[in-house]
Amino acid sequence: MAQAITLRLITRQAGGGEIIRTRHIEGAEAMIGRAPDCDVYLPDLAVDRQHAMLRVTAENRVTIESLTGQPFTADGKSTLKVDLDVLRAPVVTFGSYDLALSEGGEGDIAVTVKRREGDHAPTVGVFSLKAAMFSRRRMAWTLGLAIVALCLILPLAGAGLLKHSRIHPDQQWSSGPLSKAHQFLEKDCQACHQQAFVSVRDEACLACHKTTATPEATLRLNASLKARGSPFIPRLIDDHAVHDRLARGTPLPPSLGGKATALIGRAFNHPNDRCASCHLEHTKPAGPIAEADRPQRPTLVITNDCATCHAKLKMRLGDTTLIDTPDWGHHPAFRPTVTLAAGPHPQFERIALTARPQERSGLIFSHRQHLDPGGGVARMSLQLGAAKGYGGALACASCHHPKPGGAQWAPIQMARDCGACHSLAFASGGGEGRLLPHGDVGKVMETLQAYYGGRSVSTPPAAPAQTGRRLPGDFRPQGVAPRAPSGGAASGVFRAAFSPGGACYGCHTISWGGDGPMGVEVAPVHLAARFMPRGAFDHSVPAHGGQTLGGAACNDCHKASASDHAADVMLPDIGKCASCHGQPKAKVAAAGSAECTECHSYHHPGKATPNGQDRLFEAIFGGTAGPARGMPGA
Amino acid sequence: MAEVKRQTQRRRRSTHESFLRYRSFLFLKIATVAGLAMSAAYFFQDARPRPSGGSPLGYFLGTLGAMLIVWLALLGWRKRAVSDSYYSLKAWVSAHVYLGLSLIVIATLHTGFQFGWNVHTLAYALMLLVIASGAVGVWAYVVLPNALSENRGETTRKQMLADIASLDEMIQEAAQPFPRDTAAIVRLSLETTEIGGGFWRRLSGRYPDCPTTLALRQLEPLGHAVSRDQAKALGEVQGLLERKVAALALARRQIHITALLEVWLFVHVPATFALLAALTAHIASVFLYW
Repeated sequence: MAQAITLRLITRQAGGGEIIRTRHIEGAEAMIGRAPDCDVYLPDLAVDRQHAMLRVTAENRVTIESLTGQPFTADGKSTLKVDLDVLRAPVVTFGSYDLALSEGGEGDIAVTVKRREGDHAPTVGVFSLKAAMFSRRRMAWTLGLAIVALCLILPLAGAGLLKHSRIHPDQQWSSGPLSKAHQFLEKDCQACHQQAFVSVRDEACLACHKTTATPEATLRLNASLKARGSPFIPRLIDDHAVHDRLARGTPLPPSLGGKATALIGRAFNHPNDRCASCHLEHTKPAGPIAEADRPQRPTLVITNDCATCHAKLKMRLGDTTLIDTPDWGHHPAFRPTVTLAAGPHPQFERIALTARPQERSGLIFSHRQHLDPGGGVARMSLQLGAAKGYGGALACASCHHPKPGGAQWAPIQMARDCGACHSLAFASGGGEGRLLPHGDVGKVMETLQAYYGGRSVSTPPAAPAQTGRRLPGDFRPQGVAPRAPSGGAASGVFRAAFSPGGACYGCHTISWGGDGPMGVEVAPVHLAARFMPRGAFDHSVPAHGGQTLGGAACNDCHKASASDHAADVMLPDIGKCASCHGQPKAKVAAAGSAECTECHSYHHPGKATPNGQDRLFEAIFGGTAGPARGMPGA
Repeated sequence: MAEVKRQTQRRRRSTHESFLRYRSFLFLKIATVAGLAMSAAYFFQDARPRPSGGSPLGYFLGTLGAMLIVWLALLGWRKRAVSDSYYSLKAWVSAHVYLGLSLIVIATLHTGFQFGWNVHTLAYALMLLVIASGAVGVWAYVVLPNALSENRGETTRKQMLADIASLDEMIQEAAQPFPRDTAAIVRLSLETTEIGGGFWRRLSGRYPDCPTTLALRQLEPLGHAVSRDQAKALGEVQGLLERKVAALALARRQIHITALLEVWLFVHVPATFALLAALTAHIASVFLYW
């Protein structure tokens, strides 16, 4: 006889606990379904009304077969028919009911029916948006930590470890683009930001901008910067003053807020006397900007203007030699560098124009005489004629020639600028005059001796009688027969040249008790190239003019036609500059700026403002400043 | 009678002062004065080459803004700390709202109107996002609680759920006579109906393919094709399903309004953390590369 089936129904109570009801099913079959008359009644809509038949087939073996073609689950697998070993305690599932098969207590087969707990009933939590969303807290931490990682830790690591990689995560820290001059450093933040939490130091700037010791060093610097991608030659600079003196000479700003800002800046190691205090980068509005909008060089913001320090500099820096200059209106008088003594070791001194300095050039010269339209010079010029560049009263340009560019004047050259009238010819031969060499007394004698046969002087020539100037070719050596190969001839001509009326005598101061040939000593000559080598006066500026440029005439500033002596320093007073500089345009057409930097350079103290703008590998600071003459500290 | 009513109104008005009106808009006044003062300082400053976070006023505004942001973020801590000290929570919320809005002025002036693809503008953008979401929150807290209580009337949320659950049980029972196909339709409603659903459903309040509505619609044509006792069950189930649709609609309106009330916080809180992180990166980077 087949085994009987014992049905055990377990119902969970609402208040907890279970109710177990047991029923015996006689026979070897049991109908499983939702219909109330089924042997195993499972009131679940997922179960068909007569879903499956359970049959006992052998000792502890049953089959369960779907009657409707609807599957059920046996030991986790969906199936239509299954053969089960009761001893292995299989579990069959219909809808939400689990049927656990096991060996019954009395040799029968026990089917334990238990309803699985459905999904937990929704709680009031379902009303909150939290039920459908991510956890705010988790999202908050995720976002926060992601930003810290991407925007802080990654760039930090990039700055340290990935310095040479192609990506530069610290670029996201840049508040704006660099100027064109420094654009090549855009991916190398640490070129300037060298130390964490320390504002950009001057050393970073001076690594490229410090004036080099030698031209070779300059070339090396330029080459290395070119290799790094810089399109420009760096502007090399000198300290405006020793840093300590600069710091002492700089007062706190006048306003309370300014003082507070300066002191707070100092306290936080962010002083305002750094290069980067005035030369600002990253200042352009950030974001994608047209390449053309990129500024050429760092934005200049002057934290202290010149007058801030130079108004009462002596008060703060007692030992300074600089004269206080509170403003343009109180600019001290020009102090040209005048020659005190010419010679192989000339001496110079800066003397205020107001003290009427005398230029001891060693020459004898009268501008008045040369410019007199009714004088002998004018008559001679007429004789020379227009074909030779003369033809009337002399003008400044008859003798003074500008340097290329016109900013300054070429040094006077005797042969070119004086020689048309002041002939150095001493003999004629083959139609060509013989010229005495200029500038060396010894060579004069050698030339004469070579010409006259080099014999010793026996008979001194008659005292020279000629007093007038000679035209070129108008050779009349006094008291000496032409080409007379006499031993005394050379000496005679020599003596005549250095005696009153001689070729050298009118312009040079001559003494006869010296070490030269025949005791002749010519006072050393030093012609001023620039009286104010620290200024940047540019004669080529149209308003500065010069005769050729249609601006001011020479005589407007230089009162040459009233000067009788070579020693006169014919510089105009600063008031002359002020007649244009600092004037309103409405009043003076040629009005110009009265900024200090119009003439003075901050970064090259004692030198002129460097002219020209950024140079694409051209010469650096070439040509604007004249030869420094005896400048203290130059 | 009218006198009594007037007194009641007066009392209600005096006891129920919203956080917006706290102490006659005290913090609105403070925020306005601060905003105007900062704007005046901004336009009268002599910042060269141009105003920025690096000018003296820029540093001041930045410090003030950063301190404000940290303090505003502390509301999250304050609202959890049940305390009588540290001023009332209402005072905190009132200050949080108005001083938070004043940050728009303070932080914008701090930027000097310079923006770019960098960590600094990231922090600024996140701050605006936090403020914007907070503004939505203010609107929600002013408008929605009324709508919420009007919707539910005297029914609690628990009751709404219990109604739906008991309807489900009744439907389950009533549908027992159904054959499999019909039962399957009923199971749609019982097993797949979501009360709340996902984010967009909650926010829109629209459930176009609600399985319960669907089941009701599918049961409709079956009325003629069933036996008599099944027809009785069918009628019963349909009635129950209709009641369930109504119960769901009530609960879902509640959920919809709740979603509108809460959605800003899902931006406000994470964005605040993101802002604090970006602010840290902003400040650290500025001083790292000073």
